[in-house]
Amino acid sequence: MEDEEMEKKVQQYLQRKGFRLTELALQEERNRLSTSANSDVALARSDNDPARYHDGYSRLRTWAYSSLDQYKHELLRVLYPVFIHIFMDLVAEGHMQEARSFFHTFREDHEVMHSRDLQKLEGVLSPSHLEEMELARSFRKNKFKIKLCEYSYELLLQYLQKTQALVVLGVINEHITFEVSAGQPSLISDDADVVALIGTSKDLAKQINQKEVHWGLLEDSVEERMEKALAESDKIEAESKDADAEDNKKRNAEGGKQGASLKKAKKDKLVGATGKNVRTETSMVSVAPRVKPELTLPATPVEVEQSILEDLRNRAQLSSVALPSVSFYTFVNTHNGLNCSSISHDGSLVVGGFSDSSVKVWDMSKIGQPAKMSSSQSENGSSQGERISTLDEGKRTYTLFQGHSGPVYSAAFSPFGDFLLSSSSDSTIRLWSTKLNANLVCYKGHNYPVWDVQFSPVGHYFASASHDRTARIWSMDKIQPLRIMAGHLSDVDCVQWHVNCNYIATGSSDKTVRLWDVQTGECIRMFIGHRSMVLSLAMSPDGRYMASGDEDGTIMIWDLSTGRCVSPLLGHSSCVWTLAFSCEGALLASGSADCTVKLWDVASSTKTLKTEDVKGSSANRLRLLKALPTKSTPVYSLRFSRRNLLFASGALSLSSS
Amino acid sequence: MSIVPKETIEVIAQSVGIPSLGADVAVALAPDVEYRLREIMQESIKCMRHAKRTVLTADDVDSALGLRNVEPVYGFVSGDPLRFKRAVGHKDLFYLDDREVDFKEIIEAPLPKAPLDTSVVAHWLAIEGVQPAIPENPAIDAIVPPTENKRSEHGKDDGLPVDVKLPVKHVLSRELQMYFDKIAELTMSRSDTSLFKEALVSLAKDSGLHPLVPYFSYFIVDEVTRSLGDLPVLFALMRVVQSLLRNPHIHIEPYLHQLMPSMITCIVAKRLGHRLSDNHWELRDFSANLVASVCRRFGHVYHNLQNRLTKTLIHAFLDPAKSLTQHYGAVQGISALGPSAIRLLLLPNLVTYMQLLEPELQLEKQKNEMKRKEAWRVYGALLCAAGKCLYDRLKLFPGLLSLSKRPLLRSNKRVLTNPNKRKSSADLSSTQPPLKKMATDATANSMASASMGGNMQGAMDGFSNQLANPGMMQASSSGQMVESIPSAAIRRDQGSDLAQRVSAVLRQAWKEDQDTGHLLGSLYEVFGEAIFSFVQPPEISLFV
Repeated sequence: MEDEEMEKKVQQYLQRKGFRLTELALQEERNRLSTSANSDVALARSDNDPARYHDGYSRLRTWAYSSLDQYKHELLRVLYPVFIHIFMDLVAEGHMQEARSFFHTFREDHEVMHSRDLQKLEGVLSPSHLEEMELARSFRKNKFKIKLCEYSYELLLQYLQKTQALVVLGVINEHITFEVSAGQPSLISDDADVVALIGTSKDLAKQINQKEVHWGLLEDSVEERMEKALAESDKIEAESKDADAEDNKKRNAEGGKQGASLKKAKKDKLVGATGKNVRTETSMVSVAPRVKPELTLPATPVEVEQSILEDLRNRAQLSSVALPSVSFYTFVNTHNGLNCSSISHDGSLVVGGFSDSSVKVWDMSKIGQPAKMSSSQSENGSSQGERISTLDEGKRTYTLFQGHSGPVYSAAFSPFGDFLLSSSSDSTIRLWSTKLNANLVCYKGHNYPVWDVQFSPVGHYFASASHDRTARIWSMDKIQPLRIMAGHLSDVDCVQWHVNCNYIATGSSDKTVRLWDVQTGECIRMFIGHRSMVLSLAMSPDGRYMASGDEDGTIMIWDLSTGRCVSPLLGHSSCVWTLAFSCEGALLASGSADCTVKLWDVASSTKTLKTEDVKGSSANRLRLLKALPTKSTPVYSLRFSRRNLLFASGALSLSSS
Repeated sequence: MSIVPKETIEVIAQSVGIPSLGADVAVALAPDVEYRLREIMQESIKCMRHAKRTVLTADDVDSALGLRNVEPVYGFVSGDPLRFKRAVGHKDLFYLDDREVDFKEIIEAPLPKAPLDTSVVAHWLAIEGVQPAIPENPAIDAIVPPTENKRSEHGKDDGLPVDVKLPVKHVLSRELQMYFDKIAELTMSRSDTSLFKEALVSLAKDSGLHPLVPYFSYFIVDEVTRSLGDLPVLFALMRVVQSLLRNPHIHIEPYLHQLMPSMITCIVAKRLGHRLSDNHWELRDFSANLVASVCRRFGHVYHNLQNRLTKTLIHAFLDPAKSLTQHYGAVQGISALGPSAIRLLLLPNLVTYMQLLEPELQLEKQKNEMKRKEAWRVYGALLCAAGKCLYDRLKLFPGLLSLSKRPLLRSNKRVLTNPNKRKSSADLSSTQPPLKKMATDATANSMASASMGGNMQGAMDGFSNQLANPGMMQASSSGQMVESIPSAAIRRDQGSDLAQRVSAVLRQAWKEDQDTGHLLGSLYEVFGEAIFSFVQPPEISLFV
């Protein structure tokens, strides 16, 4: 009776003083005592069982990894001291075998951050070593200081209390002091000593980023062939150059490339000028090294190649003084239902993915023309339960693709516009044919909503990003994924192919961007710097740079080879939904929820980079060339056509608030 | 401990049918509830972002619940963001405004309109980096400053002092365009409303209107030429001009050369308005004052402004071929310019003009009622102008007149206001010679009356001569113009000569040192006693 009263008093005292952990420990111990009275044997066993250390730690670890994104990195900080002290406890108690296995099981987690400490501790083999070793002694003597925000601290306490994790609680009580700060958790990037996120720690990132990246362009690409053809035509030109007028010369050059030129003299001059531009531009691209494709690439049909060549010849040269024309596709009457949109490479097709699980495709080249019933389309319409209705009642201006059973979050055209991919919250990806207006394949593999899907630059392959924290590589002819890229600590929100198809980049809610090798499935680059969810990615056409945009409106340009940020682009005030590099890489266009399209000068910064040889690169900022406001239309997608015409799309949202 | 108090848990428990929840259960549940809430919010924010929205909706929460395999919350889905209301008396307690809906009402309500189907519209957001000013693009606010920076840059780049003149683009903001359209509409169609008055006040006061001035001036010029037949519109336009002139923030000088012709048109046009009832006189007066105010304000900047104006006016005035309405306008225009202009331009031509005007005034000569009315208008205007001039002089030299006038005025028993009664007055004056109080030029008096009435009517001659003699005596007694006696004698038979004499005096009128008395005398001869109304009250009192 007296004891109980005493205990109560002690507990009250502890409560009053806020010694919460001590209070918990007391409770635990009391519980144990009361139970031990009943089963002495069991207690004795469990008490001495070194396995419970192992269990306690692994449970703590799993819990920390599955906690809320916002607080995760703080909670993960607790793991390291707990790990070390459990190891030392095991050693001290003489469970050498268990200590070793424990150490080896979990050392990976801390390898990156604390590899030196771990190397030293690895040598601890007997309790006496602990006494001798200075590091161990200092660990034992001093307490770890960990900064946590209020809620993280609370979460930790709840966990410890709920799971009766006595061992861990003991360790934490004994060796860790918490500095609890009110308010929001600290930002990862603000931490000088990023203990936190495994894999997001700077050291690991550094280590990963030391792997080799072949960011060069593909060998024998259409562009390269084009360039060769140009070189040849230059030769011809040099031969046939007998002091002709310049105008004549251009015409010759053009004639050499184009075969029969039917154009008038004036137009010829113009085309000649663009041809010249292409020449300079391709020569710029040719600086980029060539790499061999790691994937077997599909062959491009001859006529498609012809049209690409034609486009390349007619490409408008863009620079900081020659800005692109922007054609804007506005979705009207979407009733807040448009989730995503995408534009084909030639700008003729526009797709919208809607929250009512429909996918609608507009053929912009047909809009404005009298709607004509196409019998072939209606014939092909209903097959395998997926209804595709075209030009119903001759009124509808779009092709409706139905098949998904949840909001459609992403849609993408194949490079030649004949296929369409859509991903949905029903965790499937569907492949549609824009020629047949039919659903061809349904890819099931993800377990959670698929946020993004992108065709590779050559088609055939595609990548998807999902809420299940993985990105996957697929090919059109297989219903199972070819590769699964796992490693992100939260949702993978966006995915983008590298121009040479050997890599994909993924942006995630864990605020990092990663680059993965498609062949091996390994993460080979980690880009840390964003302070919020990464929403959009774009690769520069020379394969050297990558742009990423986040929820706060920050855009970052990364150098793939070094893994460092070239420069942050600040200007948007809200989510950057989409990014696009112009075809020769001189401009970056960004579209945002703040209803603007912004054009950034990339060429100037890369030039200075070359001269300054990367160092001090963070100093030079990319210039904002132009902000093009839209009429209350957030910009959902951007696409530079091969001729460098910029297409943009968005849903008109008259503010209802 | 957690932001969800245990009371909340208890309330929720009660609402799901658990009447008494253990206190420790509630305490234990609270943190978990908070954690789950946070988790759901985290997921719903992800869903919101992937639906490319920046406003969280009930749909997002439902999808987040779906992700966690929890049944969604029904009944909150709506296209619009939910409208919360603040609970009275609580700072941070909100609730959804959830009205009770009558079933009958819903069933009986007509079907709502089917929502429009989604479609895609294409437009050019930019053409080579420049946004075209089309309705699909947002309005460019404020005027784009002339590209001076660019010009200077050009200069630097070239290294040559070549001043490249870039075409200056004038971009009007959407607001200004709307303002202009509104004003134009009001002016053209609803100038009688109070709104138009407000608009005029706005035009006279608002500071940001300068970019519109060229448009307004063009609009005015255009509309004046187009709607000469529409008096209300013309009047409204002139009012707009007046307001613009009044606005202290507007730099209107560069546009005066455009506006002046329109204003002058409104003064001296042959016909303004197409209906007989149209009171175009008022418009002429108004415009005349407007033009005069322009001259006063900008005359010193543009030296030939008044010259050109007076030239136009005097041209209209002296051309007998021009209609009386035009004459009227010209007279008003000149008279609005001030006494000196009147002295300089009107008075020298007064007598000649009167000769021209006289037949028009007579009922006998001018049968056309309309014409005669017009003539009287002109007469009134002339009288007014002359009077103004006289008044001005009298103010300057009050002594002169009073001295010379006193003996004469004293005996004046009657004031004749209407020259129409000239004859009768002449009759009267014949019986009372001193009535002719013309101090200086007594002969002129007689001659004037001759010129007025006598010239036309033979009978008048005799009368006037009779009148003249006593007048002459008076005049000489006042010690001026001695030689007028013989001259009067000579001219007794030659009315035209006398008229010239008057006009000679009037011609001298512009000279500052000219005696006011002369002037008054002459004017009296021309207008009769109507002119007295312009003499200062003290004199009048003396007179009466």
